[in-house]
Amino acid sequence: MSSEAPNPTGDRALAPEAGAWRGTPRPWLADLILLAIAMLVPIVDVASGGLGLIAPAKSIFIFAIVALGLNVVTGFTGLLHLGIAAFMAIGVYAFAILTNESYPFRLSFWPALFLTLPIGAIAGFVLGSPTLGLRGDYLAIVTLGFGEIVQDVLRNVETVTQGTQGINPVAKPFVPWFVAAEDGTRTFAWTRISVAGDLAWYILLLLILIGVVVFVRNLERSRIGRAWMSVREDELASKAMGIPPVRTKMSAFATGAALAAFAGGLWASTLDSTGEPANYDFQVSILALCIVIVGGMGSVTGVLVGAVVMVGANDIVLDRLTQFIQQQKLVSDANVLGSPNNWKYMLFGLALVFMMRFKPDGLVSRKGSGSRTGGRA
Amino acid sequence: MSLLSVENLRAGYGAIDVLHGISIDVRKGEIVSLIGANGAGKTSTLMCISRVNRLRGGRIAFNGTDITPLPAHQVVKLGLAHVPEGRRIFPRLTVRENLEMGAFLRNDRDGIAKDMEDVFTLFPVLKERLAQLGGTLSGGEQQMLAIGRALMSRPTMLMMDEPSMGIAPLLVARIFDAVRELRSRGMTILLVEQNARAALKFSDRGYVLETGNVVLSDTGAALLASPRVREAYLGE
Repeated sequence: MSSEAPNPTGDRALAPEAGAWRGTPRPWLADLILLAIAMLVPIVDVASGGLGLIAPAKSIFIFAIVALGLNVVTGFTGLLHLGIAAFMAIGVYAFAILTNESYPFRLSFWPALFLTLPIGAIAGFVLGSPTLGLRGDYLAIVTLGFGEIVQDVLRNVETVTQGTQGINPVAKPFVPWFVAAEDGTRTFAWTRISVAGDLAWYILLLLILIGVVVFVRNLERSRIGRAWMSVREDELASKAMGIPPVRTKMSAFATGAALAAFAGGLWASTLDSTGEPANYDFQVSILALCIVIVGGMGSVTGVLVGAVVMVGANDIVLDRLTQFIQQQKLVSDANVLGSPNNWKYMLFGLALVFMMRFKPDGLVSRKGSGSRTGGRA
Repeated sequence: MSLLSVENLRAGYGAIDVLHGISIDVRKGEIVSLIGANGAGKTSTLMCISRVNRLRGGRIAFNGTDITPLPAHQVVKLGLAHVPEGRRIFPRLTVRENLEMGAFLRNDRDGIAKDMEDVFTLFPVLKERLAQLGGTLSGGEQQMLAIGRALMSRPTMLMMDEPSMGIAPLLVARIFDAVRELRSRGMTILLVEQNARAALKFSDRGYVLETGNVVLSDTGAALLASPRVREAYLGE
């Protein structure tokens, strides 16, 4: 049983001074450090004449939101979810259909973005209601299948989704920003952020991510957050505490789906397009899962660190390495292995294997570090 | 009038029937014990009463309400709390969070805070360990936490499954003291115990279960004196 004590004889070998304290005294401190780094990056980047760190940061922020959603399902509630990309895709297409001119809705950025939340939640509810009675592995298989089905539907319902062409353009946010006038001067005024407006996107996405982090942290400490964690820890015991397990899992599932769809809306807007449905395939779900596992399942700060590490490795380190090898003509272009971008899934796999072997709690675990009693099958 | 009345309860797992028609009555303010060998159906009986397990037949009424068709969380709401076998505290939640989970269905902040203080008067050690993860407590402390957690739902009746299992003798005595203390506070208790002698000593009445049937029921003292119980369960 997961609740077996390490020391069933009942003596005092596990007194507090023996390191049994596991509470994180200041959970906000780590977040504030991350925030300080996030604010320093654009300053350093601009001051040094452009290190190219700002553009890839967009996907770090957006995948952080996807992974925060997945973390509600997998980290807080303990349900293995292998199809979170499907909900991101639903958000992407919902946002595009709500804002693109060839559809009747023609909403602007903010209303469409906030509508992705209920749309994602409903999609999560629709998938969750018949499946959440399933246990462990079966739920993982169903979510995996759902991920594939959504992609296929998006590709084949061409009259609505325009198939592999995708939908573009979509709405961009209207914000106060620097506008270049004809005489070369720049004024500060309300304007639309274009696809190329990396710095404006950086600031906007950072603000939105802060909002999402505050939201998820409050959820974590709320009544429903406690219910999610108790279902993860021991479903039978939580039933005996008066927690309805299926309804609790459903709310986690819908919340995760809503956040992933919300991130999808942002993704579409930064690209000014849905891209093709295959962009939201299994590998995206796995990337989100890697972020959660590498960062530390159930830890909000961990997910943020995981997003920086995993997406940073993907979009900055591997990209730079590939460019460098090509520029230096170290290997011929025909050599597939010569491009580190092609190694990324091997690296993701290795990252998972090493994390599981050496640091199964992730880089930032929820309550301090050290061994845990119990675990999830 | 009985607070809990179980009539002809039948239940099973897969193809196997485990309970073949159990009938039990618990009156307000009583401590009632279920004793019996491993596999007699004691735990299954409690799991059915708290509606965590499905029934195959029979009727359960608590405080005048037929709870047979209700889901588990509504039974807790009616004031029947269950301390499951093997403690089953939440190992990666802190002691405080574990206790708060017990009060999941309540919204009265002040009442919850007061009941937490009551739990601390019963088990002072829990107060010292509030910020510790449940899984880092010793077995006895986990059992105290499990009982405390159940009390946080402010039940009128408590069902305890093997509270002495795998716990040092000194702490077993401490937990049985707590059971008596709870009764003096007016709690009704249905207790499942393998430690039949200790349980019957402070029980008002007891039921003896054998392979899914009630084979004997009497007052605690009478059961302790009964030759059949002495031979089968007290090792005499």
